[in-house]
Amino acid sequence: MNTDVKLHPSTELLNRFVQGELVTGKSVVVSAHMELCESCSAKAKELQALAVSSWVDPDSVLQSDQSSEADYPTMVAGIVKSPQIKSQQIEALVEVDIDILNHSIKLPKVLAKAASQGLEWKKVAGGISEAQLFLDNETLCEFIYMAPGCQVPVHTHQGSESTLVLDGSFEDELGKYKTSDFIIRDAQHNHQPRSNEGCLCFAVLDSPLKFTEGFARLMNPVNRYKFKKATSRVA
Amino acid sequence: MYRNYAKQNVGNNEVALAVRLASVNTSTLSPDPEDADISDEALLIAVGNSQNVDAFNQLFKRFAKKIFALGMKLTRNEQLANDLIQESMLNVWQKAPLYDLDKGSAKGWIFTLSRNRCFDMLRKQKRQPNCISADDIWPLESGAEPTMVHEDIGGQQVELSLIEGYFDQLSDPQRAVVEQIYSKDRTHEEAAAHLQIPLGTLKSRLRLAVAKLRNLIGVNE
Repeated sequence: MNTDVKLHPSTELLNRFVQGELVTGKSVVVSAHMELCESCSAKAKELQALAVSSWVDPDSVLQSDQSSEADYPTMVAGIVKSPQIKSQQIEALVEVDIDILNHSIKLPKVLAKAASQGLEWKKVAGGISEAQLFLDNETLCEFIYMAPGCQVPVHTHQGSESTLVLDGSFEDELGKYKTSDFIIRDAQHNHQPRSNEGCLCFAVLDSPLKFTEGFARLMNPVNRYKFKKATSRVA
Repeated sequence: MYRNYAKQNVGNNEVALAVRLASVNTSTLSPDPEDADISDEALLIAVGNSQNVDAFNQLFKRFAKKIFALGMKLTRNEQLANDLIQESMLNVWQKAPLYDLDKGSAKGWIFTLSRNRCFDMLRKQKRQPNCISADDIWPLESGAEPTMVHEDIGGQQVELSLIEGYFDQLSDPQRAVVEQIYSKDRTHEEAAAHLQIPLGTLKSRLRLAVAKLRNLIGVNE
């Protein structure tokens, strides 16, 4: 585990994560960061303990006004007929490596599981490749690989983009980001990521990104189409 | 204090449960004064070790409304919230033997199961791709261990007296578990029932104890 991580999810985001309130794409990117970041992992444990105490607090605001009208005795009678599980079924651990230039990167477990059905890499432009994951119908989730020396056209986000750096580094106007860093960008930021050494990221967008300068703007309808397509896949 | 276990095992009444509570390693429990006399942990252990239906009923009464409230908060749908009670409490029953009291409270464990079932229910309802589930996003820490250890402590035959020399370096709970399995030759289930701890806890304590003994004796894996 990396103890030298600079950028983390906010406490508010971590809290919504432990409460189960985030959409799948966001939950996955936060979970992957936690696997790489000891301090967030510890913080999430504390937040969960708080969530549990407020959950069981009889005066908690969480208590619903509505009460359940379910037939408890019938439920119990049905449940206790089920067999119990004596030992955890160990699912064969999925390992997914992504090969880059002269080395390979082992994905965090949650991403490996999500990517275990195979990744389809597509070259986008100027040394950038992307491979999408279909996790829910509200976000666009993709691995993004930037070859050394390449840059993404200046763009902004209409919603927000959460990015986890998995290998290498990239930088924009606001800073330099290294492995395990968790970055959030939204409509306030107009940025142009570039990478000198090359970089593998996992990014989750909750709305299409929008190029704001030059010919790249011609791509905006494509971005919108791509987002719509990514979020319309169903089970 | 464990001697009367066989008798207790027959009775399903609260007195028997209260007696069991007394013999659970109380140092790891934090009884909530607002609760009835029996801790959630003791109830969960009775469910996991002896399929005690009364204990399960008690847990159901304590948690059904809370699970419903959680479901209402996350789904805003009464039918789904009721389904969540069913799904979560079924999970509590099925997985009770895997609960490990060394890793956290029964409340926390039941919260985790309920949140995860709710997440999966919502995904299914929204027909989201099923390449991933809640248990991948929030990996359960209890029980999910790749190796199990009912085997020789050393690769070769080691004198029991030699091992016993190291017993005092184990914690009390670890030593109790090792004695049950290696000296009294009990099965995991028997030992868990005897010590009144969840099977999941027994397995994790045993694994830690054996690793420590191996290390002390100088046996390589």
